[in-house]
Amino acid sequence: MKILLVEDDIDTRTYVSSGLRAKGHAVDESGDGNEGLLRACAQDYDVIVLDRMLPALDGMSILKKLRSCGTQARVLMLTALGDVDARIDGMEAGADDYLGKPFALNELIARLNAISRRSTHANTMTLLRVGELELDLAMQRVHRAGKQIHLQPREWDLLKYLALHADEVVTRSMLLEHVWGFQSSPHTNLVDTHVCRLRSKIEREVGPRILRTVRGEGYLLSVKQGP
Amino acid sequence: MSLKVNAHVGARLRSAAFRLAVLQALLFALIALTLFLVSWFAARHYIENQLRQTIADEFAEVIAHPAAQRAGSIRRSLAQVPRGAYDYSLFDARHNLIVGDILKEPAAGWSTIEQNEGLRDGRDLVRRILVFAAVQDDGNTVVVGRDLASVDQLDALLKSVFTWAGLAAVVLALVGGMVTAGGYLRRVEAIADAASRIAAGDLAARVAVTGRGDEFDRLAFSLNGMLERIQSLVEGLRQVSNDIAHDLRTPLTHMRQRLEAAMEEATSVEAYSKACERAVADVDSVLDTFAALLRIAKVESRQRREGFADVALSALLERLVDDYRPVMEDEERAFTVEIATGIHVHGDALLLTQMLVNLLENALHHTPQGTPVSVKLAATEQGYRLIIEDAGAGIPPQERSRVLKRFVRLDAARSSPGSGLGLSLVAAVADLHGIALALDDADPGLRVHLDFHAQQSA
Repeated sequence: MKILLVEDDIDTRTYVSSGLRAKGHAVDESGDGNEGLLRACAQDYDVIVLDRMLPALDGMSILKKLRSCGTQARVLMLTALGDVDARIDGMEAGADDYLGKPFALNELIARLNAISRRSTHANTMTLLRVGELELDLAMQRVHRAGKQIHLQPREWDLLKYLALHADEVVTRSMLLEHVWGFQSSPHTNLVDTHVCRLRSKIEREVGPRILRTVRGEGYLLSVKQGP
Repeated sequence: MSLKVNAHVGARLRSAAFRLAVLQALLFALIALTLFLVSWFAARHYIENQLRQTIADEFAEVIAHPAAQRAGSIRRSLAQVPRGAYDYSLFDARHNLIVGDILKEPAAGWSTIEQNEGLRDGRDLVRRILVFAAVQDDGNTVVVGRDLASVDQLDALLKSVFTWAGLAAVVLALVGGMVTAGGYLRRVEAIADAASRIAAGDLAARVAVTGRGDEFDRLAFSLNGMLERIQSLVEGLRQVSNDIAHDLRTPLTHMRQRLEAAMEEATSVEAYSKACERAVADVDSVLDTFAALLRIAKVESRQRREGFADVALSALLERLVDDYRPVMEDEERAFTVEIATGIHVHGDALLLTQMLVNLLENALHHTPQGTPVSVKLAATEQGYRLIIEDAGAGIPPQERSRVLKRFVRLDAARSSPGSGLGLSLVAAVADLHGIALALDDADPGLRVHLDFHAQQSA
């Protein structure tokens, strides 16, 4: 992925960019709003990581101007700790996702993967396939090797989200936000319980796991045997 | 001392009440002046009329005598002892005085003349005389007059009476103004005093109430009410700051100890990464606490009320209960649910969800596995009642109001993870929505009542 990181705090910027590069992404950095906006309009990025509080030009203004200069890049906004209203403002202004500081690098990477252009085909698709699983998005049905599996509505939402982000790690807070619509992440094993149930329905009793728990990070729906 | 007195008098003179009193004194003076002028003119007019009447009567008597005897009658009248009140003169056609004490012939009709009567007590005595003169058939002019001294005396009397009365009114008004200003100033100073005591840090200071129930008392009441609220807010804030300091010290101290121990004892990469992992977990718990505090502060600031909309409470609760049913089943809890359909309220769906999640999570965290939990939503006479109940150990009655405060954790809960902020957020959201929150005994267990009043339901 080609990523532009606009963040004025040098420590955070260095930490995030080296973390993203370590995962094989190309990262451009910018320390202030005006320069960030120029770069964003001049080049074609997959994702822009935009700090909300910036010198010269703040993140919200950049966000509004970005859309008028015609960039197709997805935007993830970073904001100060736990400001629910700021998050709503950001989403309304056109951000694709929002992440409160401080955050775990894994969380940022998972969210960047989730909003990157590779995941944009969802709107036009009616059929999703992950290994033997076949999700009919229009009818909200799932089949495994041609046989229908009955899911509760929430289990369907969960599977759909995981399938849309197949082969990527999704975190607990992403699931709470996008599947359950919670703005904060309570100490709960709600997600684990539902993932556990879903797993028992979609996996065969023998054979490789397709819905895996990635310790300390989240969950991964994938048929590839990997890391 | 005298400086202080001067300062005090100065304060009175500058006070708004005194300025009002000065204005009032001026008004009094003006009224007194008007009164004086009116009375003076009226009295003068009356007395002069009387005087003219008597002069006219006397004049008629004089001319009633035949023309030839008039001089003799005038001479007799003037020679009377004691001398009568009237002055008489008779002038011939050539204006020469025939007889009488008015020395110069006045014009015909009514007039006031001044006549020098020679020296008396070393000063010229000038008499003012009101006279009536008329030419008779014989060509002579008869003049009858009367001294105006009585009228002038009345004039002087009226003037002095009104001057003194006017002066007294002005002085009284000024003194009254000073006294009133002093009284008002004392009340205002009492309020200013309380304000400066508060500014100096004594938040318990209050404005004294006299009990007269006047406007100052009413002002004092509302000010005291405001001060009460400010004090409780500030004390709350102080409490929270202390609690934050205390609550954050614990995880930070642990973290420090672990990192120190790792620096001294860890010998392998695994040991280091384990120490780091635990340190990160400690930091996360601190961050969670901060996030929860900020969220509560946000809710308490009431800004979100602007975003209130119609919320389908029944549907929201149904969804939530469906989400939690698997969790309950996994923990082998009996989960009883009774939800009346179609209930809508006015509020913030995100916050209401958060509130209900916190209550359900509380029931899960603080009771052992297998403990039954129940959720009930029903219409009542006043509105709607939501009950979330567990059959766990419950909360002792004396602790029930305390657990709604920030960072309060009962001893039984200390060993489990948590910030002690869950119920505080519930209380804040309930307060924002005007929901009456009550903790009760489910015998055994905890029963949480949430009463949505009809007026705030949509």
